[in-house]
Amino acid sequence: MRRLLYLLREALANVLTNRTTTVVAVATTAFTFACVGVFLLLYVNLRAMASSLEQDIQVMVYLQDDVTGHVRNEIEQQLQADRAVAALTFVSKEQALADFQAQFPAESHLLQGLGQNPLPASFVVTLAAASRSSDAMRRWADRAQSIPGVGQVQYNQAWVEALASLVKYIELAAIIVGVILSAASVTIIANTIRLALYSRREEIEILGMIGASTTFIRVPYLLEGAALGLLGSALSLVILKAGFELFRHEIRSTSRFLGVEALLTFFPLEMCIVLVLVGLFLGFSGSFLSLLRFGEGRA
Amino acid sequence: MIQLFHVSKYYDRRLALSDITLEVEKGEFILLMGPSGAGKSTLLKLLIGAERPEEGQIFMQGRSLAKLRPSEIPLLRRKVGVVLQDFRLLPKKTVFDNVSLPLLVQGAANGEIRRKVTEALRAVGLDHKKDLFPPGLSTGEQQRICIARAIVNGPIVLLADEPTGNLDPELTSEIIELFKSINARGTTVIVATHDPNVLAQVNRRVITLDQGKLVSHEQVSA
Repeated sequence: MRRLLYLLREALANVLTNRTTTVVAVATTAFTFACVGVFLLLYVNLRAMASSLEQDIQVMVYLQDDVTGHVRNEIEQQLQADRAVAALTFVSKEQALADFQAQFPAESHLLQGLGQNPLPASFVVTLAAASRSSDAMRRWADRAQSIPGVGQVQYNQAWVEALASLVKYIELAAIIVGVILSAASVTIIANTIRLALYSRREEIEILGMIGASTTFIRVPYLLEGAALGLLGSALSLVILKAGFELFRHEIRSTSRFLGVEALLTFFPLEMCIVLVLVGLFLGFSGSFLSLLRFGEGRA
Repeated sequence: MIQLFHVSKYYDRRLALSDITLEVEKGEFILLMGPSGAGKSTLLKLLIGAERPEEGQIFMQGRSLAKLRPSEIPLLRRKVGVVLQDFRLLPKKTVFDNVSLPLLVQGAANGEIRRKVTEALRAVGLDHKKDLFPPGLSTGEQQRICIARAIVNGPIVLLADEPTGNLDPELTSEIIELFKSINARGTTVIVATHDPNVLAQVNRRVITLDQGKLVSHEQVSA
């Protein structure tokens, strides 16, 4: 117990001895993590937006004008049996006309001039979650197109694909920026620990001389590195949250983006915990690297 | 208890110790004499595993130091108390905390630490100063704290490298008396010094080194 207290006290003493270095390290780490966090936040929000839009996207399966009731039933049964289909609604020619007239009352006279109803009957299909990616949607549409009696299959392909590729680019950017800035954080913490090791080298020599194990000597510095990483990542979340709320407030006050602010989300609690733990791990790694280079315990 | 067989040590091709063979019995008091650069400190460093010889073998309690794994070196050092000329005390820790360090690194229980630290401080006559910090003590007291730290975990051997180098003749006598009393309790003591005052007070075996070579080996009477 006394040994544990000693190790914790030493870690705290390290932090207090090099106060300025510690503050600079925590602040730099926080801003570095915050930069990665901006990309992550962008990624999380775009992904959430993409999946919400994908949910709203429906596939219109238009039937040929001359399909009989029997063929229509066969198409319906085939679609219902398809595991990729989550929901299915039939819209008859008459219903389609009524919907058109309700949505565009000013233009309804155009159709009246044609004499007969030109709008086709259709099935409005909502795909299952697993089939909502742009690739899966395209594959499903091609398959539906080949069903006898089906005239045309339509969905907003360009929009879905553009959104999917944007999310992919953001994901890639988040990974690249994340790796580079994480390496920077490790280096910053490693340097802070190296300074702590240098300022306490005499104490380290004494501990080695009286029979302290390498682990005993290293633990306070590993704890210090982990604490720096943890504090840095926690502070970065505070910075991000403040920036996020400011951004949301700005969006809310701009009428052009009405309703968009409701879609914006901050990291869920589990992700915040993971980010803080990642910071802790990076800090620990930085410390470990410094200790390897310092090579204490060899003499 | 300690045996050296044809031990040689070089630093960047410069000879620090050459072909040293000697044996130290349990409970002996040995003075390691010689001028600066004679190899006294190097010999002590070899005995605590801080350096490894290029040639020869060193045995402590029958165990070859060359065969120790790095993880076993701390265990060796826990059996060896070390006293240095510059004390090497931690200025921001109290006397009690400084002396308790060797017990702490071994994971001793609180009660055991309190008891042994009090005993060690009493042995050097400074138990009343346990709550003070080293910078507030005289040089003689700091050296005695250093000795208390070296003996607190009951080492089998006490190595002292120029322990009186920073002390006046009166304090030197005090420290030598302290070593004698520790030796009288059965601990082997090896004191490396070039101080003739020490030699004059010790009626023990004297090993003299010069330029890394063992030049004499004699029993001296005070």
